[in-house]
Amino acid sequence: MLRGLTWFGTFYDAAVLRIGGRARPGTARDALWLNVVERQRVADGVVSLRLGGTGLPAWQPGCHLDLHLPSGLRRQYSLCGNPEDDTYRIAVREVGAGSREVQSLHVGDRVRVRGPRNAFPFAGIGPVVFVAGGIGITPILPMVHAAAKAGLDWRLVYCGRSTTAMPFLDELPIGHVDIRIGRGGPLLDDAQPGGAVYCCGPASMLDQVRAEFSGRWLHFERFSPPPITGGRPFTVELRRSGVSLHVPADRSALDVIRDFRPSVAHSCRQGFCGTCDVGGVRICVDRPTGDRLVVEEL
Amino acid sequence: MEPDNLVLQPRDVQFDWSTLPMHWVPDEPVTTHVMNVLHLLLPEGERWFVRTFQQAVPLITDDTLREDVLGFIGQEAMHAEAHSEVLDHLLANGLDPRPFTRQMEHVFRRTLGPTAGLGEEQAREQLIERVAIVAAVEHFTAYLGDWMLNAGALDRAGIHPVMLDLLRWHAAEEVEHRSVAYDLMCHLDRRYVRRARTMLLVAPVLFWLWVRGARFMVKADKTTKARLTWREAMRAGRRGLLPKLSEILRAFLRYFHPAYHPKQEGSTSQAIAYLASSPAAREAH
Repeated sequence: MLRGLTWFGTFYDAAVLRIGGRARPGTARDALWLNVVERQRVADGVVSLRLGGTGLPAWQPGCHLDLHLPSGLRRQYSLCGNPEDDTYRIAVREVGAGSREVQSLHVGDRVRVRGPRNAFPFAGIGPVVFVAGGIGITPILPMVHAAAKAGLDWRLVYCGRSTTAMPFLDELPIGHVDIRIGRGGPLLDDAQPGGAVYCCGPASMLDQVRAEFSGRWLHFERFSPPPITGGRPFTVELRRSGVSLHVPADRSALDVIRDFRPSVAHSCRQGFCGTCDVGGVRICVDRPTGDRLVVEEL
Repeated sequence: MEPDNLVLQPRDVQFDWSTLPMHWVPDEPVTTHVMNVLHLLLPEGERWFVRTFQQAVPLITDDTLREDVLGFIGQEAMHAEAHSEVLDHLLANGLDPRPFTRQMEHVFRRTLGPTAGLGEEQAREQLIERVAIVAAVEHFTAYLGDWMLNAGALDRAGIHPVMLDLLRWHAAEEVEHRSVAYDLMCHLDRRYVRRARTMLLVAPVLFWLWVRGARFMVKADKTTKARLTWREAMRAGRRGLLPKLSEILRAFLRYFHPAYHPKQEGSTSQAIAYLASSPAAREAH
């Protein structure tokens, strides 16, 4: 059998190269440049922006945008408007340099975005309980509206420090909305067995939801890998390319190598899938015990 | 309102095979072994997908597609690992799959590996042909994934729950990433002729490998006297334990429709709902 297949494979390959013709490549999608068309303070420390442009791609609840900021920072924000609007809306709480930069955008400014992409898809199956903490309401809000519109049996538990710090309280649909100031009590006491739960909030909230969960479907946003803590800086030496790159304490060898060569293969960035493995080194997580990591095949 | 533009991420799943019986579809040795062929073909096959796509990443000029391809690679790598653990379990329980898997290694590493000594242009054409072959295979994995998620007969037959979770987790991720290989092929070469000829190649070879694999497994299993026959396979198809041949044929033909796109196969909502309920996928965070 093997001999036949090998013979056929060789024949097929040769035939394709001789008479298969040449590939005609497709096109690449361009990044979107959008205008800030509205800026509003929607809660203490939270600013919402509406971004407009022509021919905005459609989106579904749970989608986010990647903002490429003038400073070079990239930040992701959930779309929290109505999918039928002809603008995108995001809401940003000030937590650091990136969010400060976004909040300082004004009406008329242009910003480069990529997306929308969905890391928190809504399956639209009920009964469903939504649990949101603070700014975590942003991906949940369009889901709640979609559930209400579809006539699903839905509930929302929305937690925050104070009502003035909780955005979009005035936009929630009429129904089973449970506003909670502070946390402490059970979150899923109202959930029905056999139902779905969607949760977006701080890690402690997700842990509590996981512990209480006894339903059928548990959905939460799949975040990028946790930040590197306790790492030490080192030098990664790429033998084949003949270059040495400095890796700071808070970045991985992969992060640094990607700046140098964007096409380097990787996937999970957490060390389990092995896509980035180069000669036994998983460059997404491995750090040397000394101050030098040698990668032969890059 | 079907979700679209999913961010694809591999899930770090674990399965415990310690309680898996030899015939994990109870009293159905033939059905069990026809499905066991997945474990024979996939580890090597999916590792080949991974290598092929890793080579193709530098050719991609679209940032979003590159992200999709990287997510696809990670998911496929996890599928390969999960299925090869089943092979280890079979070996430990007296069914040695290695005579067959060694042949698959040859097929996927040698026959389908890159040919040495090609010029840059030719190597690129060959790589694109490989990508198109993966796209054709992925049409079938999407079809099978959709079938697997909807095959209520599997639940009723009392399949071992860990195996059912493996099959459906894999099925759901296949449905989740069903467009990636096709989109990559169209990005590198949008000609219909490439799509059509690779499917004409893939369908008969895949079918033939499957029949050979199933025959091998049934023979290698010393605990049953059952044999793989058309009648057995048709009977399992009628009971809903295996996909019907006529439906596979219809799926094959759909790939040739000029307006075909993988999004038309299967349901993303159903896939993400399964992943939210899968014991393995839910633990994998």
